[in-house]
Amino acid sequence: MEIKTFTVADLGLALLSEDFWLTKTLPITKQRALSICHNPRAEKDDSALLVAYQDNQVVGYLGILPDKLFFNNADHKVGWLTGWWVDPCLATKGVGAILLYKALNAYRDRVGVSGGSKEARNVLHASQKFVTLAPVKGLDIRFRFNATNAILRKFPWMKLFRVGFKIADVMLDEIVNLRRLFWERRTHILQRLTFEYVSSIDAETGRFIERHHQHDLTRKGKADLDWIMTYPWIVSAPQKESASRRYYFSSISARFFYLGVKVFEQNNGMVGFLMLSVRNDRMRVVYSHFESRHAPSIAAAAVYQALAMDVSTLSLYDERLVKSVAGLRCPFWSTQSVSRGFFLSKAFAGSPLADCRLHGGDGDFAFY
Amino acid sequence: MNEKITQMLFNVLDELNQLRPREEHLAKEVGTPLAGDFGRLDSAALINLIVLTEEKSAHELGRPILLTDDRTMSQINTVFRTVGSLADHIHLLLNEKRDG
Repeated sequence: MEIKTFTVADLGLALLSEDFWLTKTLPITKQRALSICHNPRAEKDDSALLVAYQDNQVVGYLGILPDKLFFNNADHKVGWLTGWWVDPCLATKGVGAILLYKALNAYRDRVGVSGGSKEARNVLHASQKFVTLAPVKGLDIRFRFNATNAILRKFPWMKLFRVGFKIADVMLDEIVNLRRLFWERRTHILQRLTFEYVSSIDAETGRFIERHHQHDLTRKGKADLDWIMTYPWIVSAPQKESASRRYYFSSISARFFYLGVKVFEQNNGMVGFLMLSVRNDRMRVVYSHFESRHAPSIAAAAVYQALAMDVSTLSLYDERLVKSVAGLRCPFWSTQSVSRGFFLSKAFAGSPLADCRLHGGDGDFAFY
Repeated sequence: MNEKITQMLFNVLDELNQLRPREEHLAKEVGTPLAGDFGRLDSAALINLIVLTEEKSAHELGRPILLTDDRTMSQINTVFRTVGSLADHIHLLLNEKRDG
């Protein structure tokens, strides 16, 4: 078995090569490789992908997303582990462990993990090299009942009654639409707030973010958010193609896009910025910037956008927004508390991380 | 010294076995396979083995060792093939330290 390290520059070369993409299992997709190559926080010689080969076939891989953490008035290099896979047939060969230690060595023990499977968390815990950060608490707000999906997922044999469930869904959706109308009229949301949509970060938004991200751990600015929006890891497509079938992690969705929303209050000018990601019928607020006193307006703006974009679920990962949702009395079926976990290697343990804010899109979360 | 290292590794196996179901216990023998082609440890178990070995080396042998450097990782099939091969590698590391 051979472990090969690909730097950012190597991935640029891999994009030009034909052979790299011929293996039965792909260690990365072209859109991810392209994204890593354009990462404004990456340097050419940063390790970005570790691949385990056996008999010229990929048997394991681990991606690393170069980033920076900001604390103590300085920036600190970090690599977020992403897309960690080992061929299940080789589970007892220690491939996952080798990949983890190689990543730690490549980044001088300055590594982070956002989320991760149960297996991955077990490995991190066993290594005793990581500390768990306080999870980012959030809320899933369910606007659409979507009985068809919920029932068929639990009872696939009820597919025969699919048409009936669909009709029920349409009727329930109409109830939501009606409640939405009443909610909009009652709250006068469109009289109080106006919105401007952006597909990249303009100068006004860039300045607004600069004023509001001083306490953020990753302090994403204009260039970083522009990069995320321009180089997504998931592509909107009607079905999986050959490459996505050979890659273990998400690369295709029926609907996937980012949208920036600038929020203006009538008398206060720009009061907030939301960076939204929409994947199929779920909208996530991946980055949000605003002053706490404007939280009710920003929460209302997020709910309004979710209803306007006809998604089933809105996921918020900002405690101020979560608290404000209760007061909105918006038309939802149910809510569920959710959280996003982050781990950092112990090299960061002495740093004042508790004072720093994490967003729902930090680590590699913004890309899913 | 080799005997001391092997005994230390048997103590590591005792602790490791406490985390594993009875049918997956590792025998306290120098020929017991660990990782690599005939290995019986998944990634989490291998990492546990590494962490425990590093800790016990410091406590029982009075000499800290590092088993996670790139050199060891690139020879993982050889170093962690059996308890005996791991003992040989630790012996080598301790000698290098003494000579260095």
